[in-house]
Amino acid sequence: MSGLFAIYKKEIVTYFRSPIAYFLISSFLLGTGYFFIYNVFSTGAATMDLTFRDMAFLLMILIPVLTMRIFAGEYAGRTMDLLVTLPIFTWQIVLGKYLAAVTILLIMTLATFINLIPMFLYGNPHIINIVSGYIGFVLLGMASISIGQLYSALTKNQIIAALLTLPTLLGFWWLGQLQNMQSSAFMQNFVGYLAFSIHYSELIRGLLRSEAVVYYLLVILTSVTLTINYIKWRR
Amino acid sequence: MVTPAIFLSDVCKNYGPKQIIHKISFDVKPGEIVGFLGPNGAGKTTTMKMIAGASTATSGIVEVSGFDMSTEHHEASKQIGYLPEHPPLYDVLEVSGYLKFIANAKKIPRQTIKKELDRVINACQLEQVSKTEIYKLSKGYRQRLGLAQALLGDPEVLLLDEPTAGLDPGQIHETREVIKQIGTNHAVLLSTHILTEVTLICDRVAIINQGCLLAVDTPSSLQKASRETNRVNLLASGNINQLKAELENLENVHSVMSHKTQHDLTNITCNVSTEDAIETQIAKITTGISKLYRIERQQPTLENVFLKYIKKGDSL
Repeated sequence: MSGLFAIYKKEIVTYFRSPIAYFLISSFLLGTGYFFIYNVFSTGAATMDLTFRDMAFLLMILIPVLTMRIFAGEYAGRTMDLLVTLPIFTWQIVLGKYLAAVTILLIMTLATFINLIPMFLYGNPHIINIVSGYIGFVLLGMASISIGQLYSALTKNQIIAALLTLPTLLGFWWLGQLQNMQSSAFMQNFVGYLAFSIHYSELIRGLLRSEAVVYYLLVILTSVTLTINYIKWRR
Repeated sequence: MVTPAIFLSDVCKNYGPKQIIHKISFDVKPGEIVGFLGPNGAGKTTTMKMIAGASTATSGIVEVSGFDMSTEHHEASKQIGYLPEHPPLYDVLEVSGYLKFIANAKKIPRQTIKKELDRVINACQLEQVSKTEIYKLSKGYRQRLGLAQALLGDPEVLLLDEPTAGLDPGQIHETREVIKQIGTNHAVLLSTHILTEVTLICDRVAIINQGCLLAVDTPSSLQKASRETNRVNLLASGNINQLKAELENLENVHSVMSHKTQHDLTNITCNVSTEDAIETQIAKITTGISKLYRIERQQPTLENVFLKYIKKGDSL
């Protein structure tokens, strides 16, 4: 596990020694703060439902910036040859990098807790909804990072990695719109199951269902496994 | 019999339908420095990558310290220090932070990390820049940092792809001394374009061109084996045309070339194909026709040997 930890530590230092982490956290906080104030004042309700939806959309725009350099940066800096020749297993490289990106996501998430202070001071929010919403947000972020990381492994160009990640994430989000266009019940359920937005909507409404959690975990597992195998195959 | 630290047998590498490396076989024993010579695009870096584990062979056997790279890559990688053609550095990290990352990744015990870092920093003369961010380093320092990361953990096998590229003459000398020192008890495979480097520090030379291994031997044996490039140089004056004609008639003299120097003296070069003392015969003929000022036998340089093999390889 020391190999995984070495990669994790190097990635975290890299994020904070470059402007990426600061840019992501500050943009996300600014955006979330704006949406929170707008939603609370326009509805007058002490709820995070609308803000969670806006946060998800903002997250999907920012995730490509976070993930584009994960492997494409290693290829461009010609450091990938070093990583694969060190006595570290490929899964440790992929997981170390993935967990570092998830750490940035968690910092972004924790930073939004500041919005909860006035809500609890002046309103009476449903704690279950907020906890479930945050679980959904983190799961959505983790799934999006795993997809972004896969694209970053597939190309040497960071911009291309970001440009492929963004439409894929938005595609997974808007897949729910196609649900009503399906004639068969099976296809309606299938398309609904694949859509990020459908599972996320349930979670931010306080419905912490195992189906949604398993769905996001499956996306993460599939993308991370594909990344590991691609890196191995690339040798 | 000593087990080779690096062992390649009939190694081939294909990129799609194109074969890049054709059945390469050679070995490097512990305590031996082998120079890997070849023009650009010859397949040196591809071969190095296969030995390091950055790439896999399409067919054949690659073993490092007795571990098969196709099945025991993880075990083998613990014995390898690899400096690729472009030093693999993270620009945003500090020199000491970068080396610490490599030390952790190489699983060097926590209690010995500091000692080990000091050892490589000292060996590669990085003391002055140990707290500097890598993007601020000059090319020479970057190259030395690349070498330092390869030396971390005292690996049994060192793969160095042009380790002295970008260094100034003083640094080149120091780096060669470091490699020589390491080579006394480690196996070193050193890719380089600098032929003098090979002559100075390598025990054996492997010449590669167009993905084919053309020769593996000691520099002196290679020089001996290509005696047809031997030359006898003489400085003479007088009837040069007659002298040239007489020399050309001599057995074992391939060709005779001449060019005038100052004070009516002429430099004559005889290409000979014998190791026998043909100089005596040449001197005798010369003194009979003209005045002889100097005569010397010029052994083939490694450069001649290299060029000869590369030319041969082209026609393969």
